[in-house]
Amino acid sequence: MIRFENVVKSFGERTILKGVSFEVQEGEILFILGTSGTGKSVLLKNIVGLLRPTSGQIWIGDDEVSQLTEEQYFPVRKICGMVFQHPALFDSLTIFENVAFGLRRHYPEMAVEQIQEKVITSLSLVGIHGVEQKMPAQLSYGMQKRVSLARTVAIDPRILLFDEPTTGLDPVTTNAINHLIQGLSRKLKTTSLVVSHDMHCALDIADRIIVLDKGNIVEQGTPEELKKSEHPLVKDFLMEALNAHGH
Amino acid sequence: MTAAVSSVGLQVISAFTMIMDFVILVQKTLLRTISPPYRLRDIIRQLEFVAWESAPVVVFSVSFAAIVTIIEASFHMKLVIKNDALVPGFAALLILRELGAVVSALLITSRVGAGLAAEVGSMQVTEQVDALKILGIDPIRYLVVPRFVACVLGGFLLSIIANLVCLFCAMLVSQIKLGYSPGGFIMAMRTFVGFQDLVFASIKGACFGAVIPIFSCFYGFRCKAGAEGVGLATTNSVVTTSVAIIVLDFLLGYIFSFFY
Repeated sequence: MIRFENVVKSFGERTILKGVSFEVQEGEILFILGTSGTGKSVLLKNIVGLLRPTSGQIWIGDDEVSQLTEEQYFPVRKICGMVFQHPALFDSLTIFENVAFGLRRHYPEMAVEQIQEKVITSLSLVGIHGVEQKMPAQLSYGMQKRVSLARTVAIDPRILLFDEPTTGLDPVTTNAINHLIQGLSRKLKTTSLVVSHDMHCALDIADRIIVLDKGNIVEQGTPEELKKSEHPLVKDFLMEALNAHGH
Repeated sequence: MTAAVSSVGLQVISAFTMIMDFVILVQKTLLRTISPPYRLRDIIRQLEFVAWESAPVVVFSVSFAAIVTIIEASFHMKLVIKNDALVPGFAALLILRELGAVVSALLITSRVGAGLAAEVGSMQVTEQVDALKILGIDPIRYLVVPRFVACVLGGFLLSIIANLVCLFCAMLVSQIKLGYSPGGFIMAMRTFVGFQDLVFASIKGACFGAVIPIFSCFYGFRCKAGAEGVGLATTNSVVTTSVAIIVLDFLLGYIFSFFY
């Protein structure tokens, strides 16, 4: 479904991704783990064209997307929904308008009633009801994250990209969001890429995990395979997960 | 030595990239301004913010600028040539050619430009601009174009209003302080300025208005994360826009001089 072939991304003299290659199968939940500043978010943003690779190729299905123009990216972004680190809701729009925003652009033929129904359904999927006419600032941070997720799933993407979706949330909401990601991915049959540094959550819900360190993939495999890894960074992550959750 | 050369080289490349980014932003803004969809509702909302809400501060400030102009001109003319008969003409000339348009543009810069840079900057750091792109919306069409059109129209309108208010205040002070009747002031003024001065002043206002959202959004889009980043984007935007207005004023003044 998604394939990275020797992708390099540099900012000036600083190389963030140093020839990354991996593949994500259709319907898979892939976690990309790594410490801060190791290139996880850069990797994700390269998929949807918010950043462009310095060299290498990125394939989505049968299409190589790294050289597309901004206009040519439009259909790619229709199938790739992205949930950002921040809720990224538009402050001046109501919750309803925020969720309907992408729908109106990607499905201009949709009738007002259909949009209304789709917004309500999308909000229900993330467990939110009765806040359609509120402004983003009137909701808690956790709820804003959920609305952000609803806005993304509303356009029926085949690929869901999550950039540290639980950053800044309390443990209870973090857990809820993580299981929401798993539930939505299974229910909507999407391919999901989750950038995170939460090993516990990755072991819990990922089908496969990639560990990124200083722009290189240092380990990849299923959660069970990773538990047996001898790589020091992976061991650190595992230790942290065990300490934090006491098992 | 090699490190110093390399550092200078990187700075040159960085400056060149920045200039190219700016040129691309200007080009895209102009192209999207003339092509549909036109987002009229957004333009009207922005115009209300730029023109209507800025009008009181502009009118208030330029009134005092006009009063000072008359008083200073009168004082110095009396001192040097012992006659203030030329005051209405010189004051009107100064108001229409410089004061009305430039002072109102600088006031719009501090009020609207700073607000725009902060707004776009915080949208950039909270990933709202990226979210727009992902949802298939062109940020330049959505954020820059309505503000650009509103600032051009707002600059044009406010420049006319500012000039008329300035002239009215100058006339009032001339009557009270110098003893000119309104008719006498206008007669004296007409020997120095004509209707074309008001037209050129309005064109200046529109051009100054165009500069404000371009620089504000440019710095907003380049905003770095954090409160400091937003603050820096706002400061850079206001300083650069103000300098650009002064330089543009010179260029337009020079160009218009061929039409007198």
